[in-house]
Amino acid sequence: MKKLFAMLVTVCMAVSLLACSGAAAMGAAKKSGKITIWAWDPNFNIAVMKEAKARYQKNNPNVQIEIVEMAKADVEQKLHTVLASGVKEGLPDIVLIEDYNAQKYLQAYPGAFDDLTKKINHKNFASYKNKLMTVNGKIYGVPFDSGVSALFYRTDYLAKAGYKPSDLNNLTWDKFIEIGKKVKAATGKDAYTFDPADGGLIRIMLQSAGLWYFDKNGKPYIANNPALKEAFATYKKLMESGMIKKTTGWNEWVSAFNKGEAASIITGCWIIGSIKAEKSQSGKWAALPTPRMNLKASVNYSNLGGSSWYITQGSSNKAVAEDFLKSTFAADKDFYQKILVGQGAIGTYLPAQNGPSYTVADEFFGGQKVFSDFSAWMKKIPGINYGVYTYEADTALMTVMPEYLAGKLTVEAALKKAEDQLKNQINL
Amino acid sequence: MLHNPATPPAKTRPPFASFEKSQNRYGWFFASFALLLLGLFMLYPIISSLYMSTISSRGVIQTFVGFGNYLKLLNDPVFLQALQNTFIFFLIQVPIMLLLALVIASLLNDKSLRFRGVFRTGIFLPAVTSLVAYSLLFKMMFSADGFINHGLMALHLIAAPIPWLTEPFWARITVMIAMTWRWTGYNMIFYLSGLQNIPDDLYESAEIDGAGRLQQFRHITVPMLKPILLFTAIMSTIGTLQLFDEPMNFSAMGVSAATIGPGNSLLTMSVYIYNLCFKFMPNFGYASTVAYAIVFLVAVFSVIQFRLAGDKK
Repeated sequence: MKKLFAMLVTVCMAVSLLACSGAAAMGAAKKSGKITIWAWDPNFNIAVMKEAKARYQKNNPNVQIEIVEMAKADVEQKLHTVLASGVKEGLPDIVLIEDYNAQKYLQAYPGAFDDLTKKINHKNFASYKNKLMTVNGKIYGVPFDSGVSALFYRTDYLAKAGYKPSDLNNLTWDKFIEIGKKVKAATGKDAYTFDPADGGLIRIMLQSAGLWYFDKNGKPYIANNPALKEAFATYKKLMESGMIKKTTGWNEWVSAFNKGEAASIITGCWIIGSIKAEKSQSGKWAALPTPRMNLKASVNYSNLGGSSWYITQGSSNKAVAEDFLKSTFAADKDFYQKILVGQGAIGTYLPAQNGPSYTVADEFFGGQKVFSDFSAWMKKIPGINYGVYTYEADTALMTVMPEYLAGKLTVEAALKKAEDQLKNQINL
Repeated sequence: MLHNPATPPAKTRPPFASFEKSQNRYGWFFASFALLLLGLFMLYPIISSLYMSTISSRGVIQTFVGFGNYLKLLNDPVFLQALQNTFIFFLIQVPIMLLLALVIASLLNDKSLRFRGVFRTGIFLPAVTSLVAYSLLFKMMFSADGFINHGLMALHLIAAPIPWLTEPFWARITVMIAMTWRWTGYNMIFYLSGLQNIPDDLYESAEIDGAGRLQQFRHITVPMLKPILLFTAIMSTIGTLQLFDEPMNFSAMGVSAATIGPGNSLLTMSVYIYNLCFKFMPNFGYASTVAYAIVFLVAVFSVIQFRLAGDKK
């Protein structure tokens, strides 16, 4: 009897052991391995990635995820250097690339990035994001944040000048300048602050009219571009309005509005984190659609910046990297709610935009439901193809800008000069 | 073959020949490591980049263009602007800085001056600060509502803030001020060491002949320092033609801003190389061409300066 019992126990144990090892074998069929991710901005992209990592590892404890934080310039520099050298090692599995640069990487290094056309359901993402990562009908990335642009302004300054928020509806740049001058007179504060060496403002104006530095065929479209002409004229009016605080570089710009020295900024929604960093200004801010230009095509919605995730072709753990992005950024609605509240990250994953966090009233913005506003505006942004040479064009235009502002060049001559420079630059 | 000039006459050669040979062999053996490394890390990159400068590339897509890049260079408005900017710095900042360094050096060489060591250290100190740290510090000081503008306004020297970094003209002035601050002490040290080699009796006899301080400076100090002056001039030329850190840090760093300084007023050739590699569509071939243009210019200016200095050797 004892023997029988002992045997029974042994058999039981063996069975349970087998069952255990069976389960272990099944676990191994799940994902395992290590992936490395490169990104910039600890308060935004890195924080978002950490959240994605935690969520993914809950279901895939065998996957190691290393998130490497670098300055944006360093990410780009390293990526270029390694890709150009042709070495297979030293690249991350997943890398963040700014949207303006996406085509540049995809076209300069064919075959360097993983084709995700069939692996990710891109229909779930905003179409303008898919467009900029498509080459020859193949889609290469997983869209991430939107750069939907907005006019962020101080309601208290505006009230001092006798304006109500409703006075800013359907705003044009001319009206913006008119109001700005009165705000400056009433408060002594500059109405608007930006970095004149940054081409971002021109890009916001251009995209609001659905046009870009290049035409549909990728040819430079500068000299005769009506939106660009109007943008230059508007830029000049702004610069001569006497209501602008000019800054140099990011830090100076952020500190200008954090210190309350300017009544408004016009930029991408990713700036929310930096605005909110100054807690004493809670309740004093509000967000509105961007002003539009005096052009029929120009709308009050535009975009600045934004970035997306890409998988490198040389990745030794491509399957894991794909699965990771697929099950977080391309599937997890809950994840998007979390990063929206945490980082103010407006993802471009459409199914997530009906989530509860989007309708939260934000006390910092005086109870405004900023996120549902942003996602509504996002859908109205004119979709355009940024092409390959955004930064070359940016440089050419901002190079002629001081001469145009000083009256040494007419707008036509300035744009002609910029186009010539650009053509020379991109001519191979 | 190495030849030892101290080798005794032929008569005594047989017993020494094998020694000489083996000495050469060992000499070559020991030198070979250095030569190998030199070849690998100096010669190879030089030749490789020369070859690269005949290629036009878009990332990994390469086309052989021969001298095409060099022809493009001559018609490239961005390069010409970078060249022009660099020359503005070179022609204005370098002479001012060298003259200032010379004057300070001869003042601090005066043996009757007390606390000479303190002054020398103080003026040399900027040269050992970190390039990035000092650039950022200057950028803060010269910002629209920075220390400099506040100071000048408090002294009632200016009525409105000077747009130090937002107007092309002032941006260049700011960089020149910063560079002068950073490098004057560095050059002064060379002059000081040169001054030590000028015999005191020259000055004494000049004084007996009734020469004033200024005359002594012009007719003794400057001519006697000529080799050092030439050295600093060439070093400053090379430094200016390779100028990178100040323009890069005074603008909002290459990648995020559209231009280097307002209207690209601070764009230098080295920054252009950076842009061609990492900001624009990566064209490493054309970037090497620009690099070779710098090499060529440095060579030309060094030769000119040697000639001007009248150095026959």
